[in-house]
Parts: sequence; structure tokens; C-alpha cells
Amino acid sequence: MVVGIESYPLQLDPRYATDANSVRLDNLIYNSLLRADERSQLRPELAETWRMVDDRTYLFDIRKGIKFHNGQPLTAADVKFSYESILDPNNHSPKRGLLRPLHSVEQTNTFQLRFRLTVPHAPFVEQFTLGVVPASSTGALSSQPPPGSGPFILQAKESGEKITLKVNPDYWEGKSSLDGLVFKTVPDAMVRVLEFKKGSIDFMQNDLEPDVLPWLKSNTDADIDAYQGTTFQYIGMNLTHPILKHAKVRQALAQAIDRDRLIRHVLKDTATAANSLLSPLNWAYAASARRWPYDPEHAKQLLDEAGFRDPDGDGPLARFRLSFKTTNIDLRRRIAEALKEQLQQVGIELEIRSYEWGTFYSDVKKGNFHLYSLAWVGVMDPDIFFQIFHSNSAPPDGDNRGRYSNPEVDRLLEQGRMTNETAARKLIYKRVQEILAEDLPYVPLWWWKNVIVKKPSIRGFSAYPDGDLISLKEVSLRSH
Amino acid sequence: MKRYLHQRLLLLLPTLFGALTLVFVLVHLIPGDPVEVMLGETATAADKEELRRSLGFDQPLSRQYGSFFIKLAAGDLGHSLYEQASVAEIISARLPATLELALGAMITAILISFPLGALAAVRRGRWADRLALLFSLLGLSLPNFWLGPLLMVVFAIQLGWTPVSGRGGMSHLLLPALTLALGMAAILTRILRVSLLQAMHEDYVRTARAKGLSERRVWLKHTLRNAMLSVVSIVSLQFGNLLAGSLITETIFSWPGIGRLTVQAIQTRDYPLVQGCVLVIAISYVLVNFFTDLLYRMVDPRISYGK
Repeated sequence: MVVGIESYPLQLDPRYATDANSVRLDNLIYNSLLRADERSQLRPELAETWRMVDDRTYLFDIRKGIKFHNGQPLTAADVKFSYESILDPNNHSPKRGLLRPLHSVEQTNTFQLRFRLTVPHAPFVEQFTLGVVPASSTGALSSQPPPGSGPFILQAKESGEKITLKVNPDYWEGKSSLDGLVFKTVPDAMVRVLEFKKGSIDFMQNDLEPDVLPWLKSNTDADIDAYQGTTFQYIGMNLTHPILKHAKVRQALAQAIDRDRLIRHVLKDTATAANSLLSPLNWAYAASARRWPYDPEHAKQLLDEAGFRDPDGDGPLARFRLSFKTTNIDLRRRIAEALKEQLQQVGIELEIRSYEWGTFYSDVKKGNFHLYSLAWVGVMDPDIFFQIFHSNSAPPDGDNRGRYSNPEVDRLLEQGRMTNETAARKLIYKRVQEILAEDLPYVPLWWWKNVIVKKPSIRGFSAYPDGDLISLKEVSLRSH
Repeated sequence: MKRYLHQRLLLLLPTLFGALTLVFVLVHLIPGDPVEVMLGETATAADKEELRRSLGFDQPLSRQYGSFFIKLAAGDLGHSLYEQASVAEIISARLPATLELALGAMITAILISFPLGALAAVRRGRWADRLALLFSLLGLSLPNFWLGPLLMVVFAIQLGWTPVSGRGGMSHLLLPALTLALGMAAILTRILRVSLLQAMHEDYVRTARAKGLSERRVWLKHTLRNAMLSVVSIVSLQFGNLLAGSLITETIFSWPGIGRLTVQAIQTRDYPLVQGCVLVIAISYVLVNFFTDLLYRMVDPRISYGK
């Protein structure tokens, strides 16, 4: 079965992989202690059982009888090694920052481990999804990724072209019915569609221009489905800017955008209008967070109240002018043009500046922007709010790029990560989302859907909200 | 001739030095920090500083520049910041793809343009000439990002003769080579036509005919050979461009060549890889120019490079 992907995975060693395609392939090659299911709930994978001993200690019993692809048995020593090699500063793993609260990993017997944290840190459970490699691997990166214990074995890498996986015949959960998987890199979205039409690609997920979906429907036998995802698109704002520091201006921006029309016409219904960074699929999502439905008249009123009157009513002069940064990807530019046109209706002039990714991201990181649009991908734990909106998280120590500061939000976010009980956390993050929906350091736009295009012969695939492809191990091919 | 060869080889060094210096300065001046990309969202300022130090990015630019050239002198192009392989390994994995595409496109362009250009010159003002000029106008006007997908739809989807994209055997090479070749063939056809027309009216051609030489001999020995000089310069210039990789054609046809690699390296601010790619591209240009000079002499023995 051939899967079409947009970009070649940069790094398959799970201790170093950060780009989306590498992470997705890793989940097929490597196992982890826990694994998120299709509802983003963490379930035991390598762990037979696990429990919290106290508010900063986790005890894991590892399943027995699991082997790496090279035949070595997988034990607690391998798990310990995997975490410690990430923590080793000499290895420069990009995941080291995620393990900051980890004090130690102790192996209590061949198949038991104890993780101790320095402070209670509820979101740490997410880190039990890191891929496990054999203790015999080198600590530092090498050109050949270490063997895993997952349902597929890395067979071949052809730089820039494709990665071939073959089925693991001895997989402990049962052998996949596929012989293997080929991940073929086809950078151009239109060419991926033609490859699908030709039959040389069997499966694609996302990274397609919304405009081609109707063509695919009428010209191929593709099964096309769109599933609610967690990727959150937003407009970020510089809150130190003399105009954008006014909450009423931000609220006016939120109300001047007709999300439904953008989603229907530009995105062809591949997204859902958002009111929070967390999607409704997240356990901590607050439906009560205020929505800002399209209301240009109210937006104008808010701008008047903030002191930015329209100098000539419906005439050509704007109330003020702001720059909007985005990437030079075609769809992003079209979204930016549509936003410009909508904001013009309430007297706000947008100057669109589109850059190649490296320059754009550098500007965003530095806080060098008025407005920009980006997405958060793979959001699981609500503690992400700490990284984005806590006042101590301004760059370079976090991603509070707009310099948002609210002491109540700071307090709630500190409380949220120290609390282990889910119900109590849910209440805390509900309040956080309600405050953010009023303060609007981000203008929420939409949550992207995961668009799956596959041959009708592919059966048994379940879409994951974060775009994970782990369910490919359960897929079967049926001739028709 | 020997002296000339030595001179050209000596000139290679300052050319490469200049190209690499320019690129070194440019990649360090454009915004974007590889450390930010490498360590991701969750790294602390201290982690980033530590990685910057271990990569030597904390050093003044002048020192980084010096150590880059010292390593280069020892044949070390460095390691890619992302792919865990040396720059030399990554480039040598991609270079054959670029060479294959460049040669394929060049040969196709020559096969199309030579007969067409000659026919246009011989039948000047007649329908064959007009057809050749129309072809050359179309070839110059159709951009690759449009022509590539069009060829795919016709040959891969409708007729089913070739694969859509990717690298494999001859069938994979056909469409990307043709996409690149058409633009080149258009230029070559025009140049060849004009050069032949000029040569056809030279005195030595009239003399050759007056001597009673056969038309074939007049064409091959006197007209075509004299028209070749300008064609050789254009062909070599185009070939140099092809060796630098064609980003658009490589992207459309999922061709794993140097062009795509260079752009990917620039986007991720993979400094060592960008410098390695530029070095290879600069060497290709210099070598192509060098061989062009040798070809000139073969085409026209009157050209002298000194004693």
C-alpha cells in the first residue's frame, strides 16, 4: 500500500523526530509506554499496568515477551535508556525540554520502572508516549535509526523519495494484514492527486488544496472523508501594539471575520469554526467559552468605543492600518486576501506580507508582527496554555509571542499543572478558556478537519484527531 | 594550450572562493535560526544556547567563516544539521538524479532543435520555417509549472504511457526531461536557424559551392560547423543551469535532485548543506565553462588560447 506524503521525513529516531511525517512513521515503527487512542485518551501500550504512587511518582509494569525488530527482548532497561538518552545534554535531543520535570527513571526489576518528577506536573503523562529504542543504541544520532518493536520494520530509505516499511511478522499485538507500507514523497499537491488517479498512490491524508476535492470525487473512485481534527488555526496579535492592546479592537477583529463563509467557500468545508484552542474532542474543551459570531455592525461599534472612529464613514479612508504576516503558500495567501476584504468592511486596512516559512517563523518567534496566522498542531494536554499564554512564557522561554499577561490566567495555569485530578483540572481550564475568549490574545479561526482520500479497497482505517496514522496497522486490502 | 588549462584551473579557486563567501554571508544574513527549528517549541533558552555553542554558532561570523574554509581545505563539507549524514553523502545521493535529468533534457533538446532549426533555415519563409518559429514561440512561452502537469495529464493519465512522477527508469525520465527540454529546444532552434542563415550567405559557402562541392558537404563542413559556435555557447550555458537543478521541474515531478535539496536546505537554514550545494553548483558551472572553451577549439581551430 502506497501512502502519498508532502515532505520527506527528516529524522526517524523517535528521540529526535519532530516533523509531523517522522512522528507518524515512528508510531508505526516504535512502541511507547502509553499511546493516545482515536479519542486522544492515553491507553497502555508497552505498559501492562501503570499507576501514580504519589503526586510526583509513576510506576510502570512492562509487558513481557515483546521483542525489538532485531530480536532483542524489550525490558525496562530499554525504556530507561530511551528517556535518559533524551535527557543527556550532549545528545541535543529536541525533546529534552519536554522532560524537564523528570527527576529520575529507576529500574526496579527487569520489567518494572519508576518515574520520579521534581514537582507535581499533571501534563507529564503525555511524555509516556515517547518511542522506545534498544539500550544497545547509540545515544547520539546516527544515520541509521535504531530498531523499534512496532507493527512495521524500517526496510529502506531513499533520500528525498520514499521510505519503505515491511510488516513485523512477530508483532506482539498480531501481524498486520498488509505486507508493508511505502511512504512516497510527492511535494506538489496536484501531482499527488494525479498519482492517486493513476493508481500509484492508494492513500493520502491532508495537505490537499480544498479545491481539488470536488474533482477527486467526480473523476476517481476515491473514498473521501473529513473527520474533526484538533489542529487549531488562529490569528495571533502583538498585544504591545498601541492599537492591538485594546481588548475592544481585538473583539472587533473577531466579529468582523465571517468564518462560516471562509470555511464554505475557501476551505470547502474542511474546517469547523473555533471558539478555543482546544477542540471539542479534547476532554478539557469548554463549550462555554464565548464565541464571536460575524457581526460587522457590532464590530464597528466596538472600534468606535475603543476610540478608533472611521474618518469618512463608508468612504475609502481606514480607521487604522495593520500588517498581516503569513507564509507564501497559495492557500494561506488566499485566506489572507479574504480576511483583508472582510476587515475592510469595518474600516480596518490590512497590509498582507507573505514570506517563505523560515523568515515568517523567525519574525513570529521574535514578536516582529502586528497580526499573523498560524496553527497549533497535535494539541493534547491543556497545559499548552501555559506555554502560550503564561506571562513567564514570553520568548525565548515559551511561545507567548504576543506578550499576553493576565495574573488570573497565570495563577490558574500554575494551578492546572500542579493538579492531578482530572475533574478539578477540567474546571480550571474551563475558566482559562472563558477568560481567553474575552481577552482574545488570539482570534480563534477554525479547527481543521483531517481529510482522508483512499482507495475503496482499503478497509478498517480509523482517523485520529491529530492525524496519527497508527490505524494503518489495522487496515486490510479487499479486492472488489 | 597547456598554459591556458593551468590558467583556467587556477581561476577556478577564486571563483569558488567568491561564490562560497557570498553564500556564507547571505545565509547568515537572512532571518531564521536553525537552532530554533532543531530544538522545537519546548527548549529552554539555556538548551538553545548550549546547542548554538556546540555548533559553533555563538562564534563571531568571521571566525565561523575561517573555520568553514579550514575544514573545506581538508575536504570536510561538514554535517547536515537535520539529516544525520555528512553533506558530501547527502549531495552525492542526489547528484546522480540531477545529472540524469540534465543529460536527458539536454539530449532531448538537441534532438528536437537541430533538425527543426536546420529545416527552418533551409526552408526559410515557408511553412516548415513558420512551424519551427511557432514551436519556438510556444516553447519559450509555456512555463514549466504549467507544461509539466499538462504532460502528466496527457501522457501519464490519459494515454497511460508513463508514470506520473518520481525517479525510476527511462519511463520516469521522459516527462521531466521533456518539460525542461522544450524551453531549451525553443531557444536552440532560434539560435541555430539564425546562425545557419548567416553562414549560408557567407563568401566561403559560395566559394565551396563554386568549387563544385556536394550540397551535403557544403552543409556539414562549411555551413553547420561555422554556425555551431553560438549554439555551443548556448547549449553549455543551459547545461550549467540544468546542473544547478531545476526547482520547479524537480518539485512537480518529485525528482530527488540538487535543486529541491538546495531549497529545502535554505528553508530549514541548514547552513552546511546550503554551502555544500552551492559549492557543487559553482563547480558544475566552472567545469561546464571550461569544457565549452575546449569545445570552441574543436569546432573552430582558428580559436587560439595562446602558446
